[in-house]
Amino acid sequence: MITTPDLVTVLASNLAPVRRLRPPLARAACWLLVAALVLGLLAVSQGVRPDLFQRLQDSTFVMSMAAALLTGILAAVAAFMISIPGRSALWSLLPAPTLIVWLSTVGYQCLTEWVTLGPDGIRLGEATRCFATVVLTGFPLSLAMLVMLRHAARLRPVAVGLIGGLAVAAITATALSLFHELDATVMILAWNLGVAALIVALGGAWGRKIFSWVAPRSPLHGD
Amino acid sequence: MSRAPKSHPPPLSLVPESLSSARNGATRGPAQFNDIDWSILMARAQSGDAGAYLRLLEEITPYLRAFVSRRHTEPADVEDTVQDILLTVHAIRTTYDPARPFRPWLIAIAHRRAVDRLRRRRRTRSRETPLTPEHETMASPRSNLLETRSDGRALRKAVEALTPGQREAIRLLKLEEMSLKEAAAASGMSIASLKVATHRAVARLRKLLGKRSGEA
Repeated sequence: MITTPDLVTVLASNLAPVRRLRPPLARAACWLLVAALVLGLLAVSQGVRPDLFQRLQDSTFVMSMAAALLTGILAAVAAFMISIPGRSALWSLLPAPTLIVWLSTVGYQCLTEWVTLGPDGIRLGEATRCFATVVLTGFPLSLAMLVMLRHAARLRPVAVGLIGGLAVAAITATALSLFHELDATVMILAWNLGVAALIVALGGAWGRKIFSWVAPRSPLHGD
Repeated sequence: MSRAPKSHPPPLSLVPESLSSARNGATRGPAQFNDIDWSILMARAQSGDAGAYLRLLEEITPYLRAFVSRRHTEPADVEDTVQDILLTVHAIRTTYDPARPFRPWLIAIAHRRAVDRLRRRRRTRSRETPLTPEHETMASPRSNLLETRSDGRALRKAVEALTPGQREAIRLLKLEEMSLKEAAAASGMSIASLKVATHRAVARLRKLLGKRSGEA
């Protein structure tokens, strides 16, 4: 067991110059740029859904997608904010209003279109392509956020995992709305909310463990 | 260890000499001076100034110890938590922005580490069973007193049932733990008759006590 004065000496003698992190807003903007890039690449490779322009006339659809996108942006800002020690935990409430709007528009769509489409709205052929979109969007964005927020491992791993997961989930849901014809009732729930809930739950439950893999190492164990 | 300057940097320009002269955070002037001072020291540490960093860590250590002792009572826990905080400060010093106050940044880290240790302690406690007096029953002679008393009473009763010669032999050889020679000298009996008396007495006691335990 090392004594505290010895530890202080060891830490000071192991000091290397470090580059300060950029402000959280700038870092969130960087991550959102990566998200835009991923969505752009997917649009080029998969193409947007054929009825996108027609759907854009529908105010509920536009509101739902805008709310999902805004939730993604605000959650990213919140995640980068609360990853810094000393910043208020209230930042995590930033995406709450848009999240509520997003969830309620999805719920509204389900309710109205269930009546018109009925259970036939479930189309399984689309499901595998949806899965590809989820993986292609969710995986690189989660990885980017994980690396960018690795210092949060020592601070608020669960909260950052949860809000970061929400950002990834909301952007993934936006991608699903852009690329796939998923307005068919149950599919919206299963894909939009199911995937979102899964990503957020993974972020919350495994945040601590995942962050500990990328956490900055202690100088006593070979920094 | 190669870059461990022991000398401290000169007083910082933003901090009055009178305030920066005291080394211990508790004896310093108003809190805001401490904060500006620590903020500058951390900014210099971020650019690799080991002297400034050493001074910063030395100054925040008593402050952290006071902060942690409000949450932990065990001195070992306090010291471990202070070390945890110092390690975390070192690991994530990139996250400090000198444009913002230092103290909230430090307190956020300290609070997290203190809570982590409290949780760990609670987890450990939930797996452990504290020792109670019942666990000590076999080890502690006093807690076996009642049982001894009742056994002793039964033995004394059985001894009284022996013949006077046998009783004397048992008293001298077994209860007073004399040697045969000493017992022979004390009682005036020969060693051979002592042996015979003891043998018969033990056989009779075994019979008496065996009957008693059989009844029970």
